[in-house]
Amino acid sequence: MSSLRSKSAQDISDLLDEYRIKHGPVVDSTRSLYEKKLKEAMAKGKPKESCDKTYYREEEEVTYEYSTPVRSEGAVNSGSYMRSRPEWREREFEHEQSYSSYSRPTPEYRGRDFVDEPSMYDKPSTYSNAYMTPTPMKSPEAPKAANSSRLIPLWVQFVFFLAVAAFLYLVFSSMESNDSFKAIE
Amino acid sequence: MSTTTQKHRDFVGEPMGDKRVTALSGIGEILGEKLRQQGFDKAYVVLGQFLLLKKDPEMFTEWLKDASGANSRQAGVCTQCLREWCDAFL
Repeated sequence: MSSLRSKSAQDISDLLDEYRIKHGPVVDSTRSLYEKKLKEAMAKGKPKESCDKTYYREEEEVTYEYSTPVRSEGAVNSGSYMRSRPEWREREFEHEQSYSSYSRPTPEYRGRDFVDEPSMYDKPSTYSNAYMTPTPMKSPEAPKAANSSRLIPLWVQFVFFLAVAAFLYLVFSSMESNDSFKAIE
Repeated sequence: MSTTTQKHRDFVGEPMGDKRVTALSGIGEILGEKLRQQGFDKAYVVLGQFLLLKKDPEMFTEWLKDASGANSRQAGVCTQCLREWCDAFL
């Protein structure tokens, strides 16, 4: 990509839209920030608008993956795929035997089979990819978010609370003893 | 547990008028000087930048860190200060 500095403000704005970066007007004070954002986005190699169609298809499958709650359901899904593959093979044998006299249908059927099988091979892999990515990402993110939000560490708050509770308990226990009352009388 | 400082409360509690950039929460003398050198000598100019970035907290935080050398905590506190001021007065 040619130097971002030489592009017009409108070009920068269009590029930001392509990389789906939310932005305001590209003026002198905001330009360098947006150029930096674009450089980062280009380095990551985010997909651009032109390739959206295929990206959406995968995204549909992956988002459908996220909505299904547990791994057991995924196992069932992959199990059903395993079942359907031998089924295809059985059908192929049957059709080959019945259509042995005809030369045309079998190549057609084979053509379809070849087209369908690669997509079926793809689906289990996207499933496994979708499983691998969310869980490792969630665990490092959760403790980081938890740790950075507090000014006073959590354990300090607990210790302080216990100290106050112990003090109150001592006060109450000393109030209940009757020996001191007799001394006053 | 969010504890706001007196400086934060002072800023968010009234229109900023002509207050200096050091009146912003998180911006001390050193960061204030860096911002002044770039022309951001008043709090309202920094507000202007915040609004130009469409009040996006992440964008503004990043801009502030680049422009003034603020760390994440200072930039975050300043962003929060401006957000609350905008919620109250804009």
